[in-house]
Amino acid sequence: MTSTVTAPAAPAADTGRRALAFFASYGTLIVLAAMIIGFGVARPVEFLSERNLINVLNQSALLAIVAGGLTYVLVAGQFDLSFANIISFSGILCVGLLERSGLPIPVAIGGSLLAAIAVGIANGVLVAYLRIHAIVATLATSTVLLGLNFLYSNGAPITLGEGGFTDIARGALAGIPIPVIAMAAVLAILWLVLNRTLLGHHLQATGSNTAAARLAGVAVGRVTLAAFVCAAVCAAICGVLLSSRIGSGMVTAGDGFLLSAFAAAFLGASVIRDGQFHILGTFVGVLIVSIAGNGLAILGAQSYVLYLVQGLVLLAAVALSTTSRRVLGRRRT
Amino acid sequence: MSATELVSGGPRRPVSASAFVEVQALTKTYGAIRALKGVDITFRRGEVHGLVGANGAGKSTLVRSLAGLEQPDSGSIRIDGVETHVPNPSAATRLGLAFIHQELNLVETFTASQNIMLGSHEGAALAFRRVDGVHPAARTAAERLGIDFRLDRPVARLTVHQKWLVSIARALVHDCQLIAMDEPTASLDANESARLLKVARDLASHDVAVLFISHRLDEVLELCDRVTAFRDGGVSATLQRPELTRQRLVEAIVGHESAPSRPARRDSGEDRPVVLEVSDVRRGRALTGATLQLREGELLGIAGLVGSGRTELARAIFGADRIDSGAMRLFGRPYAPTSVADAIRHGVALVSEERRAEGLFLDLSVTSNLYVNTWHKRRTRCTPFTSARRAERQAAEIAQELGVVLRQGGVRQPIAGLSGGNQQKVLLGRWLQTEPAVLLLDEPTRGVDIGAREEIYRRIRSLTRTGMSVIVISSEFEELLECDRVVVMSAGSTVGELTGASITVNDMLRLCYL
Repeated sequence: MTSTVTAPAAPAADTGRRALAFFASYGTLIVLAAMIIGFGVARPVEFLSERNLINVLNQSALLAIVAGGLTYVLVAGQFDLSFANIISFSGILCVGLLERSGLPIPVAIGGSLLAAIAVGIANGVLVAYLRIHAIVATLATSTVLLGLNFLYSNGAPITLGEGGFTDIARGALAGIPIPVIAMAAVLAILWLVLNRTLLGHHLQATGSNTAAARLAGVAVGRVTLAAFVCAAVCAAICGVLLSSRIGSGMVTAGDGFLLSAFAAAFLGASVIRDGQFHILGTFVGVLIVSIAGNGLAILGAQSYVLYLVQGLVLLAAVALSTTSRRVLGRRRT
Repeated sequence: MSATELVSGGPRRPVSASAFVEVQALTKTYGAIRALKGVDITFRRGEVHGLVGANGAGKSTLVRSLAGLEQPDSGSIRIDGVETHVPNPSAATRLGLAFIHQELNLVETFTASQNIMLGSHEGAALAFRRVDGVHPAARTAAERLGIDFRLDRPVARLTVHQKWLVSIARALVHDCQLIAMDEPTASLDANESARLLKVARDLASHDVAVLFISHRLDEVLELCDRVTAFRDGGVSATLQRPELTRQRLVEAIVGHESAPSRPARRDSGEDRPVVLEVSDVRRGRALTGATLQLREGELLGIAGLVGSGRTELARAIFGADRIDSGAMRLFGRPYAPTSVADAIRHGVALVSEERRAEGLFLDLSVTSNLYVNTWHKRRTRCTPFTSARRAERQAAEIAQELGVVLRQGGVRQPIAGLSGGNQQKVLLGRWLQTEPAVLLLDEPTRGVDIGAREEIYRRIRSLTRTGMSVIVISSEFEELLECDRVVVMSAGSTVGELTGASITVNDMLRLCYL
């Protein structure tokens, strides 16, 4: 299709280079495969059972949804610290609208999604138009949300009574849990929009070089705002499913997602395309995080081991992709 | 040894053209590309040594090897006769080699004095340092360079020319005996360039080995004692003073004698309709009254020194900056672009002079770079989705048509892997996709070799034949001889116009200094 330069017989020095390039691109996938094989060999019965594999996917689902949304913000070259509290916020709001206001399920879900969109717009306006640094802006909205969460819930979990809401996260279609279906749908849409639509192309351009994107006629502000709204909506979907799964809305519900979502997205950035955030990569990152948790739990490891493993794997993956990029370098003369 | 001692001024060694750095049989290979094929070169103290050559000819790789940014595959580097290995940039500094690039490595918020002293190892790491005032060593270095601006101001407030002097002063404080300058005059006007060349001359007369890398042959001819020309990863010629002529340099760079090309056609085209009319456009202090007309199918040059408002005028026409007063008309209708997107819709395109900062998405693919603002034309019919396969196929065709040399990966590879000339072709291709009626090219050949330069002008010519109106801004007035008409700008306003046979470099310069 295009002109390529074919390398002559590779000298020895080139072999190391190639190996490095290979590990930089596929290292994260190799880690994932090694984990599956490792746990599979150690505990074939428990780990490789169909039930457990579906269970792993089910445990991954909520993290994958929120990490997918976060990926948009990262692709746009921004940062979001507010999604954890958006998760709690939309859970509390959804349960509150059901229990306290007695609204029907679709209205309650719609209401909490709309509220999340408003938060996303606020983030976007602060960052894209008022030019406040994303970390500061989203830290501020996050703190405001935390306040609202305490205000609305009085600090105590709002528990669900009888009703069909808990069936959403606990139910299944054709043996596949609904959160897994939701995850597949959300990730498919996110991938499609990021890779096959104007918004997605413009998001990537904005994140790569904002000044150049602006001079190419890309509406940088609007695109950035859209990224924050997408992240907020994904966080809200996650929050609603989470409250449905645990049967209540809690102020601390989303806290655990903050670090794991970042870990997954950064792990994903070293999958195949080194240093660039992308949806499939994030999904691989989510799987690594979830499988590590699941496998270590089956092995009977204590919870601190999971944190050690998660931190070290993240470091290793990012270090590998950064080092390889430096060694392989920009090929210019 | 204190820093003050190091820059005490005056030659530290007896003036002699002694060899300082000797490079022998240096080779460097990137994958399938042989960037250096056994290069021999010697840099002497007290000599200004020019390095010329097309992009990718190997001069940058040589410099990067000396700077410790690349490790050569084989060959030797001797400094004062001692075989040396340069593992990293700080080792290069310790060896007395300073490399100053276009992207000056200065801390913008630090003062000039702090920047000059940065990295000089006097005292313990945690010893208190003065953060105000001017360090005596910095002052000495500044005096040696004839610096006449204040050293206690942040570097962010300095001009590019002044920043170069700060960088050179830093090299002096580090007692560097070889100072390499990579395209130092690229963004300087004629006056500033002349002053910088004088500084280079003075450095050499104080027994420093000066390395001058430039595409501007006039300056190379004026300044250098010895010039090494690179071609295809090797040295194609080393010329000394008496034998140093433009003809021989071009011959060594290009490989064949290229006759100075003069435009075949230079009709004033006064019968053709006016496409763009700019009347007395003003913006702040940068634009103080610009007036010009652009006709259909015309190639209009804008000449002017850096800071004359050329780029600002282009940005105003392109809607990147709002104007304070004045009026523009496009195809006879009032034209006041509210944004870049608005200008693009009106058929105006601008290829910026800052290729890396304002043009390229370095980590994205060639395809993405090409289509960033025309993805809407690659949608599958009746859907909001773009077709990846079709986009890539078409991108490959466009790249081929533009003469882009793609390496491994084709149009999927990140554009960072292409050479400067090829990147520029892709950017030109991007804007041609928007089907502009008015194409603005700001310094389209900056950092581009002679071969690619001629190719770019050939393409511009063929575009004007299709009726496109093109404005070219260039600091190299010789290039503007290609134009049908040249408007000269000075201090923010248009000061004159040259047509047909009256377009000469002298006249352009004369108007600039009116």
